[in-house]
Amino acid sequence: MGFIGKGLFEGMVVTARNFVGSYFDKERLVTVQYPEERVQVPENSRTFPFLVFDKDSDPVASMRCVACKICEVECPPQCIYIVMDRDEKGKPQQRPKVFDIDISVCMQCQICVEVCPFDAIKMDNNYEKSQYGRFDELVEHLPELLKSNEFYNKIKPTEATAVDAKLKADAEKKAKKAAPAAKPAATAAKPAAPAAPKPAPVAAPTAKIAIPDDAPFTPEQRQWLSGYLSTVAASGVAPAAAAPVAGTPAAPATEAPAGNWPWHDPGLGMQRRLDLAKETPIADKLMAAMAQTDCHACGYDCRGYADAIATGAETDLSLCLPGEAETANMLKKLMQEAGKL
Amino acid sequence: MDQVYKVAPQLLKFLSYLLGWLPWIGKPVAGFLSNPPAWFLLAVAIAIPILFVVSVFPGIFAYTTLVERKALGRIQNRIGPNRVGRWGLLQPIADGVKLLTKEDIVPRSADKFVHFLAPVIAVIPSVLLFSVVPVGAGLVPVDLNIGILFAFAISTASVLALFMGGWASRNKFSLLGAMRAVAQVVSYEVPMVLAAVAVVMAAGSLSTLAIAKAQGGGILNVTHWFVFRPWGFVGFILFTIGAMAESARTPFDIPEAESEIIAGYHTEYSGFKFALFQLGEYLASIAMAGITVTMFLGGYNGPGSGPGILGGLISMFWFFAKLGGMIVLTIWIRGTWPRVRVDQLMSFAWKVLLPMSIVNIVAVGMWHYIAIRPIAWVVTTLWLVLWFITLSKLAASENIEKREYRYAS
Amino acid sequence: MEIAFWILSAITVIGAILAITMRNLVHCVLSLILFFLGIAGHYLLLRADFLFAVQVLIYIGAVAVLILFAIMLTRHVTGTEGPREVLGGKWWAGMGTAVIIAGLLWAIIRKDPLAAMLPAGMASTSVTEIGRALVADWLVPFEAMGVLLTAALIGAVVIALEEVIRKR
Repeated sequence: MGFIGKGLFEGMVVTARNFVGSYFDKERLVTVQYPEERVQVPENSRTFPFLVFDKDSDPVASMRCVACKICEVECPPQCIYIVMDRDEKGKPQQRPKVFDIDISVCMQCQICVEVCPFDAIKMDNNYEKSQYGRFDELVEHLPELLKSNEFYNKIKPTEATAVDAKLKADAEKKAKKAAPAAKPAATAAKPAAPAAPKPAPVAAPTAKIAIPDDAPFTPEQRQWLSGYLSTVAASGVAPAAAAPVAGTPAAPATEAPAGNWPWHDPGLGMQRRLDLAKETPIADKLMAAMAQTDCHACGYDCRGYADAIATGAETDLSLCLPGEAETANMLKKLMQEAGKL
Repeated sequence: MDQVYKVAPQLLKFLSYLLGWLPWIGKPVAGFLSNPPAWFLLAVAIAIPILFVVSVFPGIFAYTTLVERKALGRIQNRIGPNRVGRWGLLQPIADGVKLLTKEDIVPRSADKFVHFLAPVIAVIPSVLLFSVVPVGAGLVPVDLNIGILFAFAISTASVLALFMGGWASRNKFSLLGAMRAVAQVVSYEVPMVLAAVAVVMAAGSLSTLAIAKAQGGGILNVTHWFVFRPWGFVGFILFTIGAMAESARTPFDIPEAESEIIAGYHTEYSGFKFALFQLGEYLASIAMAGITVTMFLGGYNGPGSGPGILGGLISMFWFFAKLGGMIVLTIWIRGTWPRVRVDQLMSFAWKVLLPMSIVNIVAVGMWHYIAIRPIAWVVTTLWLVLWFITLSKLAASENIEKREYRYAS
Repeated sequence: MEIAFWILSAITVIGAILAITMRNLVHCVLSLILFFLGIAGHYLLLRADFLFAVQVLIYIGAVAVLILFAIMLTRHVTGTEGPREVLGGKWWAGMGTAVIIAGLLWAIIRKDPLAAMLPAGMASTSVTEIGRALVADWLVPFEAMGVLLTAALIGAVVIALEEVIRKR
């Protein structure tokens, strides 16, 4: 039976049923009384990044981050700031001294996690990050960012288990590789031992030639400049090519001299970098194959590592961690092409 | 007020008895109060109803907001406010403190004086409305012999505040809200007054007290309520619709439709001025509910009500119980029905409500002149039902066509 | 009573003066409402409470609101530019009208005091009395007035309709 306004009364009945029902039927009340109760967040939910360490006894020493700065470079809103730790002599320690994330800028995109080759940075799911200030309070520093691997396993079991398995497999592979390598290393200790001092006489005269002590360089800049100049001199390129480099000492003084090496940009792909370095000496080609993050994971910066390989001072081609297998393979290929291997 | 005037000396004597214990000022004050001069007695007799109105009804307003939020929450399967005090009982106080401490913002190009005046004017008519609402047997602040007319006259003045607020804000949304408010109030005033005319004809008086008194008697003081008459039932519905439109309650809240024009005429108000607008609106709504109760739901009449102190208290209980019922009904409707469109609002007022209220007046005339009650019942009911069907057919004949859904089932 | 009369008179006069001198149309109408309120207060003072209610209901609730509505639909509400002219060059016409009306009123009141015109029973202006007077004693004028107003209303609708049709 229908009459005008029937729907209005049916609506009244529905709301009345809701009203009364909400007092007797707990299923109806969907409200979660937040500070007292919380919703279990889904495993794949994410908020802000944190840094993983392995040993509870020494979080700083056991953190996975090597301060390679890939995440700093890749971060779209540029909310990450990293300074590498160094000892008193200025030797890189392969771990960050400063690692800041501005969570007021972070857009929780997870790109830092995806680009990290060390599984060192992961996404947290803690959503209670409010602070009583808008500026410094919203910047997270290293101590707050460091979380144990157990914590990671707790919040994201599936993902963390997979990561642990992969890390374990990598470590085993490395150990296997190191075991056969150790034998020739032991047997070929003689050729290896003289190989080490061999570049030294090369470096020594060039170092003498190159940089005067009062030049405006930091020690490591001086080190690579001398290495570079020595390579240039050693590879027989005309001094004219070296002259402009030497003539513009201010350019490398501030930052890595990206202007001289157009491929020195981690945003570019491997092929593009090699194309840019096509008509250059072997050392530059080798450098172009690196990950370009100057992460010092290998013990040099990208320039220094390339020079060391080119001069033969460094024989291990798999030291570039950010570049992973791609860089190692390419270095090998380039060296073969150059006939040096 | 007359009753208060009679009680006032005794009240003052009681007060003097209480205050007589105080040192220093106790004796002279007690002496003054136990034998007061005529002007003082008059002042007290005037002050008591005023104090009653300005203390009780704003209190009801404060807790109406809480009940409304709780009830709307439950209707939507939520909990509602429950943080401030047990069951959120201190929520209205928290709201008040919040509004009082907010910054008072006046738009730069606003008409400052009118902008300031509007919230004040919004409250005055709403408070004045209570002066003719009888809250118990013989208990009415002022027994005007034109009570109902006074109420309507005052309630139309409230539209001025809406206009002033909307116009002075220099804001498109405010002006739109003000125009909608003015058009709506002016249109719904007419059927509302005509629905009240039916009651005035039946009761034979414009005085609210006389109208309430006319509904006493019968079984348990209930059967003579006007709502239990054919014309009274129709009048009750017409008047309730009109009152809801007049006080801009959902589904007639188009002057402040949030989803269309932000907040309508009080878009540019914040803090205490906003609170005053809310106070005025809710007080008008409560007063209109009180007048509806007085005119149709028997006023203070109910089982046990009558003269004397006990009967008076019971009658007050019945009045406030019915008032609460009306408030709950408006909240229930607000939680259920969607807002009407502007054109629907206008056509509903002029094409359905107005003819129906005129038909209702004729029905009261029939009721008055047909002496035999059963026949009067049948005739008036038939008359009203037939007209209702005709009018609803006429109003619905245009625009409504069966809608064909191509994709939705 | 005396004090109330003077206060109400002051409100009425100030409202009237403001209504014709303000530059902003809306302010003018608001002053006009103040003036209406003063008049309503005077009715109350004269114990004509029905007239008071009707004054508020019709003049403030309907007439003033209609004027406001019309103003809301117009554009130039504030007249801040141009010379200030209340009566323009025809101030003498206004003065003349005022003098004539004042004289007329004075003459009427003097010759036929209102108290003498009222029948003895009409001293009370209760609703019952007014109702009786309207539909018993003065039935024909009352009905004629009703017909006249209805005709005016229909005429207004017809004129407005014609305009709408012409526009189409």
